[in-house]
Amino acid sequence: MRLLLVEDDTLIAESLNRQLTAAGFTVDEAGTAKQAERLGQQEDYRAVVLDLGLPDGNGLDVLKSWRSGRRTMPVLILTARGDWQEKVNGLKAGADDYLAKPFQTEELLARLHAIIRRSEGRSNDLLTAGGFVLDENRQYLTLPDGADHALTGTEFRLLRCLMARPGRIFSKEQLIEQLYSLSDSPNENTIEAYVRRLRKLVGQDTIETRRGQGYVFNADS
Amino acid sequence: MPTANRRKSVRRTLLQSLLPAGVVLMGLAWFIHGLLLEQMSRDFVEARLKDEVAFLEHQLTRTGADLTRLDTGAYFEDVFHHAFAIAIDGERQISPEKWQPLLETLIADPATGPLLIEEPTGIGVTGKLLAYRKTAVINNKPVVIIVAEDLGELHQTQQSLHLWTAVVSLLLVGLLATAIWFGITLSLRPVKALQLALEDLRQGRETRIHTQAPEEFRNLVDQLNQLLDALDQRLDRSRDALANLSHSVKTPIAAVRQILDDHERELNPSLRQEMARRLSDIHQKLEAEMRRSQFSGPQAGKVAQPVKQARDLLWMLGRLHPDKNFELSTDLDETHRWPVEEHDLNELMGNLLDNAGKWAKHHAELTLWETDTGYCLQVADDGAGVADDTLENLGTRGLRLDEQTPGHGLGLAIVADIVERYGAEMTFSRASAGGLNACIVIPRHTTVSRV
Repeated sequence: MRLLLVEDDTLIAESLNRQLTAAGFTVDEAGTAKQAERLGQQEDYRAVVLDLGLPDGNGLDVLKSWRSGRRTMPVLILTARGDWQEKVNGLKAGADDYLAKPFQTEELLARLHAIIRRSEGRSNDLLTAGGFVLDENRQYLTLPDGADHALTGTEFRLLRCLMARPGRIFSKEQLIEQLYSLSDSPNENTIEAYVRRLRKLVGQDTIETRRGQGYVFNADS
Repeated sequence: MPTANRRKSVRRTLLQSLLPAGVVLMGLAWFIHGLLLEQMSRDFVEARLKDEVAFLEHQLTRTGADLTRLDTGAYFEDVFHHAFAIAIDGERQISPEKWQPLLETLIADPATGPLLIEEPTGIGVTGKLLAYRKTAVINNKPVVIIVAEDLGELHQTQQSLHLWTAVVSLLLVGLLATAIWFGITLSLRPVKALQLALEDLRQGRETRIHTQAPEEFRNLVDQLNQLLDALDQRLDRSRDALANLSHSVKTPIAAVRQILDDHERELNPSLRQEMARRLSDIHQKLEAEMRRSQFSGPQAGKVAQPVKQARDLLWMLGRLHPDKNFELSTDLDETHRWPVEEHDLNELMGNLLDNAGKWAKHHAELTLWETDTGYCLQVADDGAGVADDTLENLGTRGLRLDEQTPGHGLGLAIVADIVERYGAEMTFSRASAGGLNACIVIPRHTTVSRV
């Protein structure tokens, strides 16, 4: 399995390289953002370990450029900053997992194997309807104006259901199947609440109510 | 600079509003004075004319309505400067002669009482005339009595009086402007003192603002002083923290260096382990100090967007645990704001959700809502939960949570730390789906902490 290791600290890079090789990876090393970006675009890697603090740039920018170039290999980011916003930003940029420094090699290997396993059989599915793009892997909705929105699990499933067949009427009962809830058994009010939330994202007219029948995703509006 | 010119100045605003108001009010008073003067003099002349008509009527009654026996002409003209006309049947007595055309028409006019002739013609008078006409029956003869006065002269006197009033008014406006200017300057003097106090503060001559501020500024001064207190405390705290950290980190660093510098000594496994332990110590101490310095606690002007932040966190945890469902339940708007520092709220929600994510079987849910007294967030999962006796101890002070319950550990210690800073309340219970239910209520009126 080919793996790209992007790390500028030579001690860490050397040691990790050795341990990753021992774990069965074929490791390419990159010490700068420029080199990492080029390698990531040119070569096919099974996984990438990416340090965020690089001497000539931010690892997140490298990751974004890979993702915008349709490179879908799983990426594990290493960061010295462990606060939540940093983690959110990392995942938004397209990372699959993060690991805060300092870490133990066993932990790194476990996480690497996990993201590799998860990426297997994963296709880069995009659901498009009426100018809206739903990224099924990342549960992300891109609006016609280009703005991205993170969706919660239920929001994503409801929208996927509606967007998969624009113009078709879905009854509330059909949509309830997409719901999970901890507390009460989900009911029609819950559906209405979720539809209200989705409408705030996609616009009032995009999800139409058909009285007594259900909801329709309107791709023409 | 045009922007500097447009900047608000209390003095300028007061002057710009009070001065024109003073001038306009004075002008209005002068105008009303003119109207009243006019009215008063007319009333006065009217009353006099009426008296004279009554006098003439009395004279006529005494003489039995005989015009020849009436000897008043010269008297009226000389003493009162008035004109009069008496008509009995066809007989007329009119004085002075030159007013005859006008008085004849008035005799013919049936109206009685006071009459104002705006533009008398043919009698050599330019101003207005006021006349009083009365009809009576004396000795069975119908009698018409008219007394008239030229208002011109009176009008002139009146105008000169009005003019003098204008001069006095202007003087008063001047005095008023001076009074306003003095008033403003006096009342703004404390601001100047405040400026000087701030300058003293900046130069380091003073550590607090001591000036006797007027009531309107007392709050401001108090808040500034509070802010200074808070800054001082913060500085002291971070200085102490850094000193402690440096002290506690230097020893393990020295130990590791000693081992590495000792060329004779071989790095056997137990020594490696010892070194790793020392390095872990350093890391832990750094982490703890970082955490403490990062929490801001309640602060004026800091707001978080709970729904937006919750969305990002839930989405991220959903990516990290693709087999589990992270859900948000709230009626709050996407743009809703809470007066909690953003980073603090992220830590509260992030750590609770991270724990829930680790322990949930399939589902973790974050609920956000508001009550009259506080901002509430609750995280529930459908995992195994914790034992009831541990529930009570979770989040209580003095208990090292990270040591007590692995998994629900370090994160909860951070959460408990922030909860304490906000004077918030954290309760744990068994979730309806079986797992842990953590609920935090941040009170609405947190007094801004001075740490």
